[in-house]
Amino acid sequence: MDTRSIIEGIASHDPRIIARAISIIEEDNERSYEIIRAIYGMTGHAHILGITGPPGVGKSTMIGILSRKLTEMGKKVSILAVDASSPFSGGTILGNRIRMQDTLSKYGIYMRSVSNRGMTGGLSRSTWNMVKILDAAGNDFIIIETVGAGQSDIDIVYLADTVIVTLAPGLGDSIQAIKSGMMEIGDIFVINKMDREDSFFALKDIMDNVYERNGWMPRVVGTNSLKGEGYGELIRAIEEHRVFTEKNDGKKKIRYREEVRLALSRIIDRSVWREFGRFLENGEIDGYYDEHVDPNTVAMEIFRENSAFAHSHSVEGRVES
Amino acid sequence: MEAGKNLSSSRPIKVLLAKPAIDGHDRGIFVLARALRDAGMDVIYAGLLPTPEQVVDIAISEDVDVIGLSLLNGAHMTAFKKVVDLLKERGVDDIAVVGGGIIPDDDKPKLEAIGVTGNYGPGTPLPP
Repeated sequence: MDTRSIIEGIASHDPRIIARAISIIEEDNERSYEIIRAIYGMTGHAHILGITGPPGVGKSTMIGILSRKLTEMGKKVSILAVDASSPFSGGTILGNRIRMQDTLSKYGIYMRSVSNRGMTGGLSRSTWNMVKILDAAGNDFIIIETVGAGQSDIDIVYLADTVIVTLAPGLGDSIQAIKSGMMEIGDIFVINKMDREDSFFALKDIMDNVYERNGWMPRVVGTNSLKGEGYGELIRAIEEHRVFTEKNDGKKKIRYREEVRLALSRIIDRSVWREFGRFLENGEIDGYYDEHVDPNTVAMEIFRENSAFAHSHSVEGRVES
Repeated sequence: MEAGKNLSSSRPIKVLLAKPAIDGHDRGIFVLARALRDAGMDVIYAGLLPTPEQVVDIAISEDVDVIGLSLLNGAHMTAFKKVVDLLKERGVDDIAVVGGGIIPDDDKPKLEAIGVTGNYGPGTPLPP
């Protein structure tokens, strides 16, 4: 399919072409950048909801219910759900869909499973550009589910307008709650599984540990996804934060800077590795191994001896070619 | 476009595994899901009891390269055919459909004729 019909298909909200466009974006090549360039003018309408939290707290189930409620309110919703690839084979089992399939079919909600392709941080490199496709395709809300996240998988904060940190009872006490990372990125905290024992203690632990950041006091909401309880309150909190972000565009500027940083680091990575990657192959470093030289010294020696070579081939020149 | 559109692509082969009828025997499909993951593919499992319509919806939304269908309950001639018909109806001609499960030898050529290849049974070796 040629690039022009892809762009037209996105503009006319054709679901099959949107699906194909996302595949092209996943390849993360020149053609995918061309598509983003062409549709960028159509983006900026969607409100991006990031759902993160540890594995097994009920993120996928929650997204199923949330997307249904938003659709019933007349909003157009699409979902990107990221799962982790195997660090050994690179393959991925994409399992988020199972928890929401009935809702998706019934309400015609577009959902796409995404492999993180080995990237840490909870997202994949191309998630940013996938969001742009869905934004240009006229969605009101784009819901992103991160990989089941630990304390430091916080890239979602740079992508989402509203970050919802989902937790469940039994994950730890108030000391866990004041640790850095996840607790610092939530605009809304959800304690799911409120039917469980000790759930109100968990709710209170979080309530005691949230504090105002950049003019926003995080909301703490309890939900029970089995009965669908608490979702009215959650949607109210999302709406309040959406209105807040419209008045404060600071976050969008931070995201823009982060996107440029990511794109730049990708260009630098590629051009630098093109120069230095070969030193790791074909037994180049076997001599160091035999002499039992420490790896840091080897890396520094490789860099020092070859950086003159790297300078003579300017990085900018490489990118253009 | 021909089936196998992904051959020149840099992304891994993407496979949808599904049991498009009332059949809860999912051990085999789980083993297969893991084997395909270990072979470096992206694998989506459609969960239990999806309708053929849902299978086709998922395949299109996820833009998969291959649909792997498994049935052990004898409904393959009906259910696999329904999936193939729906793909045709929706104008999809670039997704390969591969079958497996308990499929009598007599049925295999019939499935091949409607475009369902493979039709693997118990004992099929996994890639090493």
